[in-house]
Amino acid sequence: MGIYDFKVKLNSGIEKELSEYKGQVLLIVNTASKCGFTPQYAELQELYMKYKEKGLTILGFPSNQFADQEPGSAQEIEQFCRVNYGVTFPVFAKEDVRGENAQPLFKYLVEQKGFKGFDETHPNAQGLMNALKQKFPEFLEGDSIKWNFTKFLINRQGEVVGRYEPTTTPMSMTGDIEKLL
Amino acid sequence: MVKVYSISNCPWCEKVKKYLKLKNIEYQEINVEGNQEATDELYKISGDEIVPVTTIDGKNYVVSFDKEKLDALLGL
Repeated sequence: MGIYDFKVKLNSGIEKELSEYKGQVLLIVNTASKCGFTPQYAELQELYMKYKEKGLTILGFPSNQFADQEPGSAQEIEQFCRVNYGVTFPVFAKEDVRGENAQPLFKYLVEQKGFKGFDETHPNAQGLMNALKQKFPEFLEGDSIKWNFTKFLINRQGEVVGRYEPTTTPMSMTGDIEKLL
Repeated sequence: MVKVYSISNCPWCEKVKKYLKLKNIEYQEINVEGNQEATDELYKISGDEIVPVTTIDGKNYVVSFDKEKLDALLGL
């Protein structure tokens, strides 16, 4: 079973095969909802604009399994919602990314690349860790998705080559992405 | 006519609508989700694609649920 064997669902309910993206570099991200404080959307969009001509595609998968926010930014919730998430890369239907009902693609991704800890230098790392310990201790177990904006990098051959936790900002991934393009 | 641009599952949109109802102000709700024409209209008014946006004339508008600004816009 490889990445191109998976099907994912669009908002309209139509299924799309990931084999359509064969040969491209993919950045697969579990995203937050339309109403939270989520500057990573803006950075992902920036990455997409910068590299899409060179063959990068970003695929967003929203879920509502986490609070609607960036890790550690509990108080700073924007008081509005974005109509199209403010991005132009594909965003798929809202589905689970962790737990028993996680969509198969995410079960596969976490099998390929396990959890290796948060980037402790990120200003929100400690806040995220504390929030998880207090409210969702079970999320810390195993290789599961820990929070919104966990990112998986797939090379042109369809191999999962990297996993980046919510504490890694999209823009800090540019070096790794450029190597694959 | 007061117009409120919204999407589904948007807590701030609900607040605006509730407030207008409380103040007995008639309004038309425009849910722009999946409606490109309405999204374009919203963009023309506010220069962005965020909701809620409340407008009375398509020129002056208020983003989000901001009671003071809404009162000023609606002359309350």
